[in-house]
Amino acid sequence: MLEVAWTLRCLMLHTAFCVPYLGRGDIEKAPPQFMDYTWHFQIVWEYRAVFVRGAIMTAQITFWATLIGLTLGLALGLMRRSQIVLLRAPAATFIELFRSTPVLVQLVWIYYSLPILTGLQMSNTVSVTIGLGLHAAAYFGEIFRAGVNSIAKGQWDAARAIGMTYTQAMRRIILPQAVRRMIPPFINEFASLIKLTTLGSAVAVNELLHESNNLINNTYRPLEIYTALAVAFAVLIYPIIYASQRLERRWQLRQ
Amino acid sequence: MTPAMIKARNVQKYFGQLHVLKGIDLDIVKGEVLAIIGPSGSGKSTFLRCMNFLEEYDHGEIWLGDELVGYRKSANGKLAKDGAARIAAIRTRMGMVFQSFNLFPHMSVLENVIEGPTIVQRRKREEAIEQAKALLDRVGLSAKIDAYPETLSGGQQQRAAIARALAMNPEVMLFDEPTSALDPELVGEVLDVIKSLTADGMTMVVVTHEMSFARDVADRVMMMDDGIRVEIDAPEKIFTNPSHARTAEFLQRVLR
Repeated sequence: MLEVAWTLRCLMLHTAFCVPYLGRGDIEKAPPQFMDYTWHFQIVWEYRAVFVRGAIMTAQITFWATLIGLTLGLALGLMRRSQIVLLRAPAATFIELFRSTPVLVQLVWIYYSLPILTGLQMSNTVSVTIGLGLHAAAYFGEIFRAGVNSIAKGQWDAARAIGMTYTQAMRRIILPQAVRRMIPPFINEFASLIKLTTLGSAVAVNELLHESNNLINNTYRPLEIYTALAVAFAVLIYPIIYASQRLERRWQLRQ
Repeated sequence: MTPAMIKARNVQKYFGQLHVLKGIDLDIVKGEVLAIIGPSGSGKSTFLRCMNFLEEYDHGEIWLGDELVGYRKSANGKLAKDGAARIAAIRTRMGMVFQSFNLFPHMSVLENVIEGPTIVQRRKREEAIEQAKALLDRVGLSAKIDAYPETLSGGQQQRAAIARALAMNPEVMLFDEPTSALDPELVGEVLDVIKSLTADGMTMVVVTHEMSFARDVADRVMMMDDGIRVEIDAPEKIFTNPSHARTAEFLQRVLR
């Protein structure tokens, strides 16, 4: 039954997405069945609970992955700036490993291979959350590092000259300035992280994409549902982008 | 004779292969104002930065009172780098003012001044604010206590930076070319503030290109060239009858 549904869905996607390209270059002559397509958006409304459920899961995964990413990323960023090789080298290895491999592979690997190596079996949701958290940590780590490095050396001098220790200087003088410069790249990374949660569908996590695919299997309405999916992501992400732009502008005025 | 407040013995410093300080000796007594002059690249700023260990010297010793700066002497007489906390602690006894001001841009002028007292010295906030207001009044910035550094002129920023350094109640003030980054018309207001500190008997070391300031304010002038202390003497002597050809040549170039 499931296979039939898959085949059908693939066929429908094929017709919907690929066939139009055959007629590209002469839009007027597009085959009549595309012009005749009737949208049934009421189906989205009917199944709105599914979208809400998916959105909550997506938000949860994003929240925890961000938390892991920020905490670990800060540590990684600081470690990578360290004079001590034993701190610097592992951080650099971790960051470059996660930056140079596909996220999908990381997630699948953590879900399937980690239990074999460690005997530690995590639920699909937890492993995707952790996987995305580690992935985010690698990128956030680089953002932290670049942000801290961008602060003029004179700020360190001034902080040290009034007797601050490294920790005090970092916490009171360097990070507050660096964080402001980190906001734009951080928001980029965060928005990208929200979208990366869709990769959770690869290990059947019930986030937005997976819920949508399930719904398509039941309703055979991929166009409406994917449209709604796009809207759902925009609704999740745009406010964050907007807020960050406001914040940036306010800090620019203040400083 | 009064014991030296700052004592430097054979201070040497390398930047990689480059020998920037080739053995500097110096004694500064309490209340003395010392001006360090010399061509750029002569090592005068580096030497000043060694005094509060912003720059680590490689040989020799620098003493503040009876404390060795930056190093610990072990039983066999060898020097080992001191712990970060002790280095930080000794720095609180010296105020430093930089060529590029280096105010903290995310803090108001008042916050800049109370940062050290409240965070490093853990003094009461109210008391720190009171002192900061008095200091800012003294440097003529009463009207600017809530302003952010970038809204201030260079001269105002440097005066705020002087107040920030004074707020730590330092025993010595170190000035690293405090007027070099200023527009000519703003130099005077900063020099006036520095001059006014002599009235309190503040011990000061000033690396400067302002020869008239060195002549009028300093008790002694030290001429440096190529990492060497060429000579050190009273300003009248240095500026009218220097003992070394290098000093004479340098002064001829800058005083033209």
